[in-house]
Amino acid sequence: MPTVLFVILLTLGGAGLYLAMPGGRLHVGRAALIVLIGAAAVLVSLIAPLAGPHEQGASLALLALVAMIGALRVITHPRPVYSALYFLLVIIAVGGMLVLLDATFLAAALLIIYAGAIMVTYMFVIMLAQKGGGPAPYDRSAREPLVGVAAGFVLLAALTGRILGAGAGLDAAPAAAGTNLSNIVQVGARLLTQYVVGVEITGILLLVAMVGAIAIARRRAVSAQEGEFS
Amino acid sequence: MLAAYLLIGAGLFVLGLIGFVTRRNLIIMFLCTELMFQGIVVNLVAFGRYPLGGGPTLDGQAFGLFLLAVAAAEAALALALIVLLYRYRDTLDPDAWKLLKDE
Repeated sequence: MPTVLFVILLTLGGAGLYLAMPGGRLHVGRAALIVLIGAAAVLVSLIAPLAGPHEQGASLALLALVAMIGALRVITHPRPVYSALYFLLVIIAVGGMLVLLDATFLAAALLIIYAGAIMVTYMFVIMLAQKGGGPAPYDRSAREPLVGVAAGFVLLAALTGRILGAGAGLDAAPAAAGTNLSNIVQVGARLLTQYVVGVEITGILLLVAMVGAIAIARRRAVSAQEGEFS
Repeated sequence: MLAAYLLIGAGLFVLGLIGFVTRRNLIIMFLCTELMFQGIVVNLVAFGRYPLGGGPTLDGQAFGLFLLAVAAAEAALALALIVLLYRYRDTLDPDAWKLLKDE
């Protein structure tokens, strides 16, 4: 039974995404909306029974719905600012999923780093690179939407076919480890013992990225008019 | 349990991939790579919480933290490059940069 639901979900989702892509088909936005609502209903009915206990399954289905709608709007909205705001919605939904997975520290770090730091940087760059007068021409049309959506959904069908095929083997759910330590204590101990080399290398990576970003951003675009790069 | 999270992770990853291939705005393309990172975080942590053998481990969460650091470095460098490219060409369309493309 899940397989049938699944084929319906992939078909509806692919068709709706293709209709909703920017570029020449904006007049069928309402048709896309109806098709996507159907896909969302199928998604909820598919995720909820898979996700184990009752209330947890319901909240996971809700979070999955929010994440998928946000992701759809990120890749279909013609205005970059709104794409970034919908991406925040995806972050919050993913943070909720991490809480459901007992990864509370990672959920907090995700919200702080992504919603607090990375998205603010994106917002600044979007506003720096924006002109007045509606969406830019390159935002109004997608590049090869039919081929892109079809290829993506074929990949999704292959992945999910394997996941659902192995469903019985994946159902063994071990209980949470019964320790008194909080999640942040356990993760911190693991990071500073087993993964301490990785932490050091990450520090070097961040330093190099910071120096590189400053060096790139300080270059002055003086030769743009001299045709050096054309 | 695990299957539901894997499905969500696959969905987020593929949506990001489609966006990266089809959108024609450099900023949105890099936003789509962040979308793919979200799918990967969900996958990593779900595999740590419900491993295929043995009890729950914290390795998935540790990998997730490393992934956050890499995503931050990637965002900083990509946005610096985008600002530089925008100053040269006054557009965010990657088709404006086809110097290396054989036509």
